Amino acid sequence: MSTNGLIGRAIKRVEDKRFLTGHGNYTDDIVLPKQTYASFVRSQYAHARLLNVDTSAAKEMPGVVAIYTGTDLVDVNGVPCGWQVNFKNGDTMKEPKHPLLVADKVRHVGDAIAIVIAETIEQATDAAEAVMVEYEELPCVVDAAKAVQSGAPLVHDDVPNNKSFDWVLGNPIEEVNEAMRKAAHVSTLEFVNQRLVPNAIEPRSYNSSYDPATEKYTLYTSSQNPHLIRLLMCAFVLGIPEHKVRVVSPDVGGGFGSKIFHYTEEALLTWCSKKIGRPVKWTSERSESFLLDAHGRDHITKADMGFDANGKIVALRVKTYANLGAYLSTFSSCVPTYLHGTLMQGLYTTPKINVDVTGVFTNTTPVDAYRGAGRPEATYLLERLIDLAALEMNIDPADLRFRNFIPPFDGVNQPGYQTQVALQYDSGNYEGVLKKGLEMVNYAEVRREQQEAAHNGKLVGIGFSTYIEACGIAPSAIVGSLGCRAGLFESAHVRVQPTGKVSVYTGSHSHGQGHETTFAQVVADKLGINLNDVEIIHGDSEAVAFGMGTYGSRSLSVGGSAIIKSIEKIIEKGKKIAAHKLEASADDIEFSSGKFTVKGTDKSIGFGEVALTAYVPHVYPKDLEPGLDFSSFYDPANFTYPFGCHIAVVEVDKETGKVSLKRFIAVDDVGNVINPMIVEGQIHGGLVQGIGQALFEGAEYDENGQLTNASYMDYCMPRADDFPMFEMGSQVTPCPHNPLGVKGAGEAGTIGAAPAIVNAVIDALWSGGHKVKDIRMPLTSERVWHAMVDA
Amino acid sequence: MQLAGKYLLHAAPPKVWATLMNMDTLAKVVPGISRLEKTGDHTFKSILDIKLGPVSGSFTGNLQLDDLQEPSAFTLKAQQNSRIGNANAAIKINLSPVGTDDTEIVFDGDVKLSGMLASLGQRVMGGVSNTLTKQFFSNLEKELEKTPAS
Amino acid sequence: MSTKINVTVNGVQYSHFVEPRLLLVSYLRDVLHLTGTHVGCDTSNCGACTIHVNGKATKCCTLLAVQADGCNITTIEGLSNNGELHPLQEGFNECHGLQCGFCTPGMIMTAADLLQHNPQPSEADIRHALDGNFCRCTGYHNIVKSVQYAAQKMKEKEVVH
Repeated sequence: MSTNGLIGRAIKRVEDKRFLTGHGNYTDDIVLPKQTYASFVRSQYAHARLLNVDTSAAKEMPGVVAIYTGTDLVDVNGVPCGWQVNFKNGDTMKEPKHPLLVADKVRHVGDAIAIVIAETIEQATDAAEAVMVEYEELPCVVDAAKAVQSGAPLVHDDVPNNKSFDWVLGNPIEEVNEAMRKAAHVSTLEFVNQRLVPNAIEPRSYNSSYDPATEKYTLYTSSQNPHLIRLLMCAFVLGIPEHKVRVVSPDVGGGFGSKIFHYTEEALLTWCSKKIGRPVKWTSERSESFLLDAHGRDHITKADMGFDANGKIVALRVKTYANLGAYLSTFSSCVPTYLHGTLMQGLYTTPKINVDVTGVFTNTTPVDAYRGAGRPEATYLLERLIDLAALEMNIDPADLRFRNFIPPFDGVNQPGYQTQVALQYDSGNYEGVLKKGLEMVNYAEVRREQQEAAHNGKLVGIGFSTYIEACGIAPSAIVGSLGCRAGLFESAHVRVQPTGKVSVYTGSHSHGQGHETTFAQVVADKLGINLNDVEIIHGDSEAVAFGMGTYGSRSLSVGGSAIIKSIEKIIEKGKKIAAHKLEASADDIEFSSGKFTVKGTDKSIGFGEVALTAYVPHVYPKDLEPGLDFSSFYDPANFTYPFGCHIAVVEVDKETGKVSLKRFIAVDDVGNVINPMIVEGQIHGGLVQGIGQALFEGAEYDENGQLTNASYMDYCMPRADDFPMFEMGSQVTPCPHNPLGVKGAGEAGTIGAAPAIVNAVIDALWSGGHKVKDIRMPLTSERVWHAMVDA
Repeated sequence: MQLAGKYLLHAAPPKVWATLMNMDTLAKVVPGISRLEKTGDHTFKSILDIKLGPVSGSFTGNLQLDDLQEPSAFTLKAQQNSRIGNANAAIKINLSPVGTDDTEIVFDGDVKLSGMLASLGQRVMGGVSNTLTKQFFSNLEKELEKTPAS
Repeated sequence: MSTKINVTVNGVQYSHFVEPRLLLVSYLRDVLHLTGTHVGCDTSNCGACTIHVNGKATKCCTLLAVQADGCNITTIEGLSNNGELHPLQEGFNECHGLQCGFCTPGMIMTAADLLQHNPQPSEADIRHALDGNFCRCTGYHNIVKSVQYAAQKMKEKEVVH
């Protein structure tokens, strides 16, 4: 295949201009003819029976078009969960209905009771306030470990002990216990990986319409995966024919996982649009986003890591209670299981691993994938434990990692690494990233500075995190065998226009990741044409054949590979056309730098001419169809496994416990890189979300199930002046099983960063003689100060 | 949310007690009451209009005086609903004599907030409830001054 | 009940009758169809709605349209000059200072205010000035670089003129 050197270059983004000039087109920017607006009546209680919902006064309010309550929708299905996890005994997980509007009892604050549709948003809001709801408040439960105890209030009356599932993976527990008993040292941590609110800056927004002439629906949605929404909404919720529904995700203002899921409002607005015969729009207010957008993390975990006398890990045992919230969101069941338990090998040769996870319903906002999804929780567990063990055994934390790393393997000459927890790693050079990180941070010097600081009464700490993630989600057969109810391939349609310009229709939606640039670079490079002769089209189910969407750092490794498949077909057909024109055999044609050439001669024709010939086939092979237009589906052979090393240097104020982040070094190996500028940008953003979890963020529920920091006045978002400039390094270990050799970069920063920060703070405290094992995230001044004083 | 404090009133406990148990004075001393309707011996239906900084709303609900131990203690129970959230309170109130002419009122209880009051308003609710409490006692003081010593 | 307001937005004079409770951001988005100004929160914290009112960076999601009567307003749509990008717009493209683009208009309008008052800001100055604007995508790293790029560019232009 040809190359014009576009791959690997930091090309400036082609999509930027519309955003820079205020011409982005987000869902809330769209106003349709005869537009109406929706507002919701939502539960104020975490758990209550609905005694009466009186809409009579509201219906008389000015501008009201319609009001619907749960009793109008009793025959409509709820939104489904896309991944089936089974109990240890083989029973199917408990999957209670997640209704579009609640008719019987509300199960978390914000649960929808009624939708009010009016001519203006102000009228809809006014009328929603006039809906009178009578509740019978019920006792509630917010903590996953308490929810499974007998006598705890039941979120769903037919789910005993609030358990959706219990699940286990790895070696038999007896073997792990035995190895743990024989260990020379065991480090143990009991900790909470706190609940986070995803906080994409664009609030979720939907605008749905119905055309009685064609009997077709159109849904504009701020979704990361419009095709998936169409499939779930049509087949599982509303039972409407898929070909009668067009779903469009225009520009989307960030997702981070929270816009993967099929939310109740999408289906409800679609249902309403037909009922009233007019388009209905709803845009979440931020205070609603806090209560409704699926949260992330929220694990309560106890983990033990056993070592032999040489510091080699001999066993890992994990017990986690995963809070799922009040209902199963689209992928909530797989996050704490198949995206968490499967990562417990980490970068280490641990021979015995057992992971036990209980998924628990509580009276809280549903929890689902949030940037990293399961993998940050796994990384946090492993990396906190190994750093703690290093302190406890008085071994240098970098050295302890070197003793335990899986040796380098490229997945081509050496086989992939089979873990104890189902996955087979594709390729890796784990010691490489740590070595590079140590060089960049100048390890010996930082340790010297730490000692000097301790001497002067200051607390400086250095913390490591060497992480791995499984992304490029995912081989359909594997995920199918693990309970996924969908395939996880991707589609790409490459249409060469008669003039040689190229339109690419991809199922991977872009909401900040820069696909319109990166994908165009790949296409232009492979076809030897100019970047601006390629256009990337995404996000419209009517334009793009199919798509599984953007999550799990999968766009380039899965979506990009599908594009490559189509390009290969185009080049192959192009060779036949060129051969005919050049009166040679197709086998003798080679394609390079945008030209089809007869091997060993100077006879060639350009890509543009071949394209024109394909559409004006006057001189054309008899057995060939006209046109130059191919679609492909790519189903990956394996997950991809990016990895890296993050190092944090912090200073802790002795008097106040305030943590200052002094330096952050990130060495990430994401395989081959198409656009290093975009990859670095992805990692920067990921780092801030990871560091945000470590230092600032956390959803706080009170015992009544009220989210007490449901606004930007109370939920601490990471801000510009919380960070130093990041020090970025990279290493390239290509992925052996996809054509671009890429692994994925979207989640790396978030997965690696948090434990590096916490490890650094703990290291700082130990340097001052405070032998603190753990501090609960976020590491606020108060918590750090208490940890210091109490230790 | 915890609501606790104490207040010294210039009147003996029996007089304070009588004032508090009188529906007409109660309607005057509870801040923001626009309607108070007796529904039982010691239960009332109420409408409260409260506007304090960011907290502004019309609350409807019930007030109840419970565990009455004349003249030394009772529990004030309130269940108030509004579009910005609901409040559910149980406040234990103790009246003890100070000298012969004064009463110290000690109150302690829990207020459960829901909806926007809990998610957005919680951090200002402490201040709001302190202001309301002060208003309540200064209103009560005025009422006590009006009525002659019994 | 409506109140008449006169405003100049991006150099164009408008006169409208508006409801007293209409927010300025809704006036810009829904009445003037200038949808480049975004709403990211309802508490004036996120900064996505930042515009210039009489030359000063202002969060317009908690300002009423009637309060803007008589004011001169610039939104992101009015920042570039005859199709030539403002140095900040150029800087954000050059340094990859945006990803999803939702916070970008507010971020640029805040940075423009900073550079008016402090043409050669330090990294700390920039980070401090952008403290009231949330970005969930970029980690702020490249936004800082974008503003530095624009400051340098504007300085070079000064020298040329």
